[in-house]
Amino acid sequence: MKPYFSDEALNAFVDGEFDVAESEVIIARMRDDPDLAQRVGTLRSLQSMVRLAYAEPPVSRGWVGRTVPRRRIMQRCAFGCLILLAGLSSGWGLRSLESKTETVAFTEPVPVKSGYQTVSLAREADPNRIMLHLDSSAPDRMEAALDRAEQLLDEAEREGRVMQIEIVANSHGINLMRAGVSPHAARMARMTQRHANLQWVACSQTIARFTGEGQHVELLPVARAAPTAIGEIVTRLQQGWTYVRV
Amino acid sequence: MVMISKLIFGPIRPGIEALRPVLYRMAYAWCHDPALADDLVQETLSKAWVRRAQLREEAALKAWVVAIMNHCWLDHLRSRRDFDDVDDLQDEIESGSDTPEVCCNREQVVACVRAAVARLPLGQRQVLTLVDLEEFSYTEVAGILNIPVGTVMSRLSRARAGLKNMLDTATQKPATQTLLRRVK
Repeated sequence: MKPYFSDEALNAFVDGEFDVAESEVIIARMRDDPDLAQRVGTLRSLQSMVRLAYAEPPVSRGWVGRTVPRRRIMQRCAFGCLILLAGLSSGWGLRSLESKTETVAFTEPVPVKSGYQTVSLAREADPNRIMLHLDSSAPDRMEAALDRAEQLLDEAEREGRVMQIEIVANSHGINLMRAGVSPHAARMARMTQRHANLQWVACSQTIARFTGEGQHVELLPVARAAPTAIGEIVTRLQQGWTYVRV
Repeated sequence: MVMISKLIFGPIRPGIEALRPVLYRMAYAWCHDPALADDLVQETLSKAWVRRAQLREEAALKAWVVAIMNHCWLDHLRSRRDFDDVDDLQDEIESGSDTPEVCCNREQVVACVRAAVARLPLGQRQVLTLVDLEEFSYTEVAGILNIPVGTVMSRLSRARAGLKNMLDTATQKPATQTLLRRVK
């Protein structure tokens, strides 16, 4: 007569509570006894169904906010304060710096080095590689960008330096480089012809946004598009370029 | 940052916090209410943190924390007015949620199993989920719930039998319904 295994014993077997010898007895029985095999199979499938049912429990709304232990909150506060402090101080530093670059670039473009130096991400800022960032379509700002580029290039030419200038436009500043929209198309073409190291870069994201709004954006032949203006600026800064916001 | 935090706050024990998803799944399987499960986990974690000195073996951390959660869960049930004796409740009363048959019409096995588990008596539900979801051994489960191993085995066996019954009736019903449905 076949020994009968109780449900409890089979459950224990399915859950791995039996040692090897006991398990082997049941496994051997299962070969001869289809009923037993089916009972074990049912228990196993129940087990896997329960696992499946709770593999991804629904997430409660307050998961992040309320559930942080007190200690963690303290830590986060401390980190927050540190970051805030760092942000404030660097912002303050940049502010004074920007005002310095403004005056320096306008009045005496020759000894720019001291003024530009710290804006650069690279260790040694290069006064001969300058990025002008334009993000407005105000006529005077556009004009200022072109004037300053020309001024810097002429200055360098006179002194025999090789000056590289890149004008980066995003937001409404992109109008400067749009064919049919730009008020300075002819002047820009002339400038590009005269100075080989002058480049015009437009932000693709801005173009995409304008296109999304239903405007047709076509760039002037002198301009090229970069994936993002910010990306372009950061890359250039890392390469040692100097950044000036017009 | 980690260095600074260690300096300021002393060494952190990542173990307890890392158990959050495990605890949440277990709590959800017990009460089937995300918000309540969240509260339970939160209470458990803070209690575990306060009592962390009582934990002797690092290896038993999970079982220890789950045992704390069991206490929180029972406390919660006691605090609700509609139950007088939690011990009775563990074996007898079924929860009042929808029957699996109703849920299965929504064609989801997951919802169906959850509904079936939700209808199991509390004691059986806890044993079943502890064994199936976290693969605790029977002795660990006995320690967590503070019951004899024999009770663990009988509850588990009854839980699986009950689950099977509920799922069987649930899966049969839609089958007959589809047979009767008119196909145009």
